[in-house]
Amino acid sequence: MKKTWLIALLTVMTISMVACGNSGSKDASQENGSTAGTKTEKVKLSIWHNYTGDDLRAQTMRATLEQFQKDNPDIQLDIQGIPPDGYRARLKTVAAANEMPDLFVMWPGIMTKEFDGGGLLQPINELLDSKPEWKEGFLPNSFSDFTIDGNTYAVPMAMSPTSILYYNKKMFSENNVEPPKTWDDMMHLVETFNKAKITPIALGNKAAWLAQSSILSSLGDRVTGTEWFLKAIAGEGAKFTDPEFVQALAYLKQLSDAKAFQDGFNSIDNTQMEQMFAQGKAAMMIDGGWALTNLAANASPEAMADMGATVLPTVPGGKGDPDSLSGVVGTGLGLSKNVDGARRDAAFKLIYTMASPEVQKKTLEGNQLVSYKVELDTSKVSPIFAEVYKLLGTVHTTPVYDGRLSSAVADVMNNGLQELLMGGNPENIAKKIQDAQDKELAASK
Amino acid sequence: MTTSARVKGFIVAGILPALILYLFFVVVPVFWSAYYGFFDWKGIGAAKFIGLANYAEVVKDPIFWKGFKNNMLIVAASVFGQVPIAMILALLLTKSGLFQRLIRASVFMPMVLSSVVVGIIWSYIYHPQIGVLNFLLDSAGLENLKRAWLSEPSISMYAIMIPIIWNYIGPYMIIFIAALQNIPSEINDAAQIDGVGASRKLFTITLPMIWDTIKVVIVLCISGSLKAFDLIYVMTGGGPAHTTEVLASYMYNSTFNVYRFGYGSAISTAIIILSLLLILGSQYLMKRDYR
Repeated sequence: MKKTWLIALLTVMTISMVACGNSGSKDASQENGSTAGTKTEKVKLSIWHNYTGDDLRAQTMRATLEQFQKDNPDIQLDIQGIPPDGYRARLKTVAAANEMPDLFVMWPGIMTKEFDGGGLLQPINELLDSKPEWKEGFLPNSFSDFTIDGNTYAVPMAMSPTSILYYNKKMFSENNVEPPKTWDDMMHLVETFNKAKITPIALGNKAAWLAQSSILSSLGDRVTGTEWFLKAIAGEGAKFTDPEFVQALAYLKQLSDAKAFQDGFNSIDNTQMEQMFAQGKAAMMIDGGWALTNLAANASPEAMADMGATVLPTVPGGKGDPDSLSGVVGTGLGLSKNVDGARRDAAFKLIYTMASPEVQKKTLEGNQLVSYKVELDTSKVSPIFAEVYKLLGTVHTTPVYDGRLSSAVADVMNNGLQELLMGGNPENIAKKIQDAQDKELAASK
Repeated sequence: MTTSARVKGFIVAGILPALILYLFFVVVPVFWSAYYGFFDWKGIGAAKFIGLANYAEVVKDPIFWKGFKNNMLIVAASVFGQVPIAMILALLLTKSGLFQRLIRASVFMPMVLSSVVVGIIWSYIYHPQIGVLNFLLDSAGLENLKRAWLSEPSISMYAIMIPIIWNYIGPYMIIFIAALQNIPSEINDAAQIDGVGASRKLFTITLPMIWDTIKVVIVLCISGSLKAFDLIYVMTGGGPAHTTEVLASYMYNSTFNVYRFGYGSAISTAIIILSLLLILGSQYLMKRDYR
């Protein structure tokens, strides 16, 4: 018995000695660190980004941050990468708690508007005006969704067309068909592929925003025209219950009634849908520009060589411009109101670096579209990327529904579209959307 | 006198830390959230006091009641599915042979897995194109039974119940086994001497002896089912079109997707009230004493 006690005592003593030894050395190293810091008076900046993926674009952005840290020893970055799926929710949560990081990846449109409304942002006009050449380098209207009352809050580091009709050239030629030009062509294609036992259009609508952002935003614009939508969101002389919007919903329903999508499209996600298309299990998919980076990272070169891209077909009597697709400028770095003095200068430097012409070029070569005028070296990107890049030069962009609608209305629309695709009634769904919109308008008055 | 006071002092000192933590992290937030329910708050900017409007909206919200109905289905599936299955398994597996231990471990295994993993596994089992279930039906020649299990509104809720039942049988089984092993062996011996048959023994000795445990398990089952969220969130996110929405997922979506923090708080308060009512109701129903 005595012996066990002795051993126990010895063990405790040894452990505590080891532990003490460790903490001692830690203290020493910390001291060293802090003395080095006081010499140069480091500027500290925190930044949140969602470039955690394995795709080329995320790699480029992470490398840029690392390089910036190396080139600027006097600035200390506190970098937090958050996986894209949870990024928005986390950012909104810290915004609610008023604990925003100094710089953060931010979406144009409704998010910028909400953050500005909460008094969380500061404009970067000064930075833009100090570099006129850089400012001129952006594509027209690049800043409009980041600008409120003349204050620009961010510059886009990418561009996101949301509604591209991707098709499999090999399957099309095997079945002797052409990409659809009109709605009748589209319905005819659906019929042809169904007869050939091929899924006409791959769809992964589990997260519910896809049918809205990628299909309806552009299809709706074809039917109603952009002006109608802008009036509807402002609540000035147009409503979602108007016959033209109900007609747009009816077109979408027509697709699902004709079995254009594979079974169970409401239970698979966007990535699985892209895989289906890449593996040649579907003849078409309607997806955004983000598919290009994913495809470049995951699809085989042969599969990508067979892919083509075009815009959605025209509809009979549609009021919208047929040479258009829905899209938004990409995310930019927002700057918190609490950053000032030397930290503000450092933040400006980082904002510029992350969106500088060189990084925009690298981003573009990483198969990610940008809102900046850059010559594309087609040998460096996938063939389908080059094709989409060319396509974008010939069309203009129209608004994406959930980029302009409030979160509450967008949620009702997303769920309504899932219901519609399961056989719901277009008029009832249009009414639900308008009810939510009425409530939103009443609350904002 | 002095000793009993000292014992009481020890009890207080022992309970106090847990009690304080519980008060701060459970009880206070409950009332806090009930209070937030009186505001119209988007998460950013000023919160506007709107009185009982959120609560009135909850009561009238068809999706809330749809979620409640789905929760009730899960409660029913747990109480009438999980409890009997766990009980039968416990009765079969009380002995500790190698075989019994193996089966026990495999029944308990899903509990050890993270819900996200379980959710993803079952999403693939149910996958409309490459799912194991549809593949098995195909190879068994039952093509007409193939379904898009998680997106057909008429069956998706039932498809979700199966993993929920499967996932949580383990702990209830362990609780039952512990209770069965606590029945004094004298009683069993006496019954054997008197020549009591197996089924008679089950209904007149075993079940009454563990009736209190059964009550506890049913309460745990009800409260667990009302909290159901993780598997549903991973497998369907409450969709398509709210068909698999439960109260907790609706609360999450209202708060963190639609950013109506006040309304989400009102929903969570409503969940607490409904849960309390259900637990009280079930306690009342099970009051009759078998002993």
